[in-house]
Amino acid sequence: MEKKTYAGIWLKDFFGIFMNELHLIFSDWGVMIIFFLAGLLYPLLYNLMYLNGVMSDTPVAVVDNADCMESRRYVREVDATRECAVAYHCLNMPEAEKLMQEGKVHGIFYFPSDFGEKINRIETATVSVYTDMSSFLYYKNALIAANMVMLHEVNQIQVEKYTAMGFSGQEASQIVQAIPYEENNPYNRAFSYSIFLISAILFVIVQQTMFYGMSMLVGTAREQRRSFASLPDQLEGLGVGRVVLGRGMAYWLIYMAIALYIAMIVPAIFGIPQRGQYWEIFILVFVFVTDCVMFCSAWSSVITRRESVFLLFLFISPICLFLTGCSWPTFAFPKFWKLFSYLFPTTFGCQAFINMSTAGGDIMSAQVQLIAMTLQTIIYYAISCIAIFIENWIIKHKEMLLEARNKIAAKAGIDLDEDRRIIAGKSD
Amino acid sequence: MAVAWHNVRAVARRELRIFRQRPIYLLGSVVTVLFCTVFYLTFFKDGLPHDLPIGVVDFDNSSFSRNFSQQLDATQLGKVVKYNSFKAANEDMQSGKITSVCVIPSGMYADVSANRRPTFTFYVNGLYFVGGALSYKDILMMINMTNGAVQREVLRAKGMNEATIMNHIQPVQVDVHQIGNQYTNYGYYLTNILLPAILEMIIIVVLIYSLGAELKYGTSKHLLHTSGNSMLTALLGKLLVYTILFSAIGLILVMLLYDWIHFPINGSIWNMFVAILLLVLASEGVAILIIGLLPIPRLALSIGALYSVLGFSMSGFTLPIEVMPPYIQGLAVAFPIRHYFLFYTQEVIFGAGFAGWWQEAIHLLLFLFLPLVVMHRLKKVYILQNFPKD
Repeated sequence: MEKKTYAGIWLKDFFGIFMNELHLIFSDWGVMIIFFLAGLLYPLLYNLMYLNGVMSDTPVAVVDNADCMESRRYVREVDATRECAVAYHCLNMPEAEKLMQEGKVHGIFYFPSDFGEKINRIETATVSVYTDMSSFLYYKNALIAANMVMLHEVNQIQVEKYTAMGFSGQEASQIVQAIPYEENNPYNRAFSYSIFLISAILFVIVQQTMFYGMSMLVGTAREQRRSFASLPDQLEGLGVGRVVLGRGMAYWLIYMAIALYIAMIVPAIFGIPQRGQYWEIFILVFVFVTDCVMFCSAWSSVITRRESVFLLFLFISPICLFLTGCSWPTFAFPKFWKLFSYLFPTTFGCQAFINMSTAGGDIMSAQVQLIAMTLQTIIYYAISCIAIFIENWIIKHKEMLLEARNKIAAKAGIDLDEDRRIIAGKSD
Repeated sequence: MAVAWHNVRAVARRELRIFRQRPIYLLGSVVTVLFCTVFYLTFFKDGLPHDLPIGVVDFDNSSFSRNFSQQLDATQLGKVVKYNSFKAANEDMQSGKITSVCVIPSGMYADVSANRRPTFTFYVNGLYFVGGALSYKDILMMINMTNGAVQREVLRAKGMNEATIMNHIQPVQVDVHQIGNQYTNYGYYLTNILLPAILEMIIIVVLIYSLGAELKYGTSKHLLHTSGNSMLTALLGKLLVYTILFSAIGLILVMLLYDWIHFPINGSIWNMFVAILLLVLASEGVAILIIGLLPIPRLALSIGALYSVLGFSMSGFTLPIEVMPPYIQGLAVAFPIRHYFLFYTQEVIFGAGFAGWWQEAIHLLLFLFLPLVVMHRLKKVYILQNFPKD
């Protein structure tokens, strides 16, 4: 038999570790739930929740003390906007306030009794708008409707006045609006909640489910007094790289499938804009999943028990979502959290996905993010290797560490045996 | 059912001992809440973002257009970034470097002077939500003010006096009152619900883990032995410890929000103490239900985690529930945080008091019946330990 080359042994070890990890993943129900139930169903569920991202016809109440032509026209125009619908006409403010408190309306338009008079006397008339701030969308709708109608009314009243002053129609509109404007919101026309949020949530799901699943397996291995870091025996401490890569490959393979489904099929099902080129999105998913694998394998090495990941890191999911900058703009991040956000692949992955797939930029529009993710991959790979190295050192020096621990416990006066009886249950 | 109080105390003491041996319980509750509190309070400390980068492509380059850019730059919300070509500006908007692009057409000043009505165009990236919406508002305001300025010049030339001019320019104005958050502070709005939602999540996960760990490490018989073979006593003893822990965290959170850093509150802080205590109890009810129905620690924890993450959306404080499809709306009732949110709306936003929130208090109390459904089953499992252990 011919002697094996270094590459041959490397590949054999790599393949063995890879197959072993796949076996572990598929024989663990908890992990299967996280990977496949959560990974595949969560994107669908979130899409269903945010199916109608645009909130239309927010009910508002009107208190019209002026009861004049101008106020009635204003109310009609508010009712005609997409944002608001006039649901109640109230006689006084307390009545309207009660409706708002009961949640029947989320805004109140109040016209003081001198509204029409002031307009006719060419003074500034005021319409007061009260909005329910329990959700910003109520506020936004009432504000947009009030302001759009106000601008329209202003133009209409001005044209009337200037015509009365003897300007021709053409001249009047030249004075009223010297610079007509055209607004464009090309990527998210109606400021739809779902388009911006789903675009960011999708990649957070990829990273977080992978992290929870992988951490569960690492914890399980430690509980069963195996280690996630077992090295090929014949190498005596060498071969850290093939352990990291072999294990990573198993997750990478599964998650390439899940992430491609999340990045390409889910948006197609729910009509989220997909303006990117297929190959460019594929490259993005490739880079992002690779980054996630290394991120997860580095961070999961701190998990000592199977379930601890949920207790310790579940709260990080909403934080990751905010750190993508999809809602609160990255320009406004405090310095420290800006640096903190560089820890997560999602910070760059989500931005790149939004820029390329939803906004339709080419691969250059995500250049910064792709480079950042590549750097992250390299750094996390190094950290994973170090973690495995340390883990092996600890395994080899177990006796020594245990002794040190007992010494400390004796000093602090803690009865470890009694504790162990309760925790690990060899009682009764 | 008679409750043996000395057994309850014994179980509670046993629980404290577990706390000492396994730091994860305190790490998972106190430290995570602490971290989240620090995160959300410092992350949104500005309340509203300012100096959002707005791209301006100035093809006119006149004193008029430069003045426009300077004015836009001087607003609190905006910060102007100049571009020479629309292509470069558009690429930067697409990659999220700037929030929006304004295009000032060439010859705009000349056109305005000659009454030729040049068109001003602007583009907003609505995918970065708050930044996009705010810069949209800012640009819209600025262009309307510019129109007003042009109008003022024309009317001045006609010999009108300043006071009359102002009334001509602005015949109608809107006066907005934000009920419950008069500063339009985005941080107040989010943190008010995010932190209780985090608390709910942590309660569910930690309690499922605590009850599941008895099965996993086979100590459930020891627990029942300590409690005098009564499931009720065992649960009471454990819950005593956890309720004190989580209530303390909850009360401190409410104190912190409404007293120390003065989030606006229309009602009374005492009622919010009631709200957070009810939220703690209701979340504990949900946790016991989940582990009781699925007495396999790993599955129960996965399900508990998936459930509690959904709570953030299902509370309806971002996208209101009524916008969601009907079959999702119904599900929202099953989340304690949803009822907490409605309670909060009544107390903090409207200051409606008991008359406003009593129904939500009842809804939250109903969650306390959930453990009764599974208690018998959980006891059987604790005795037989006949489910897979991890």
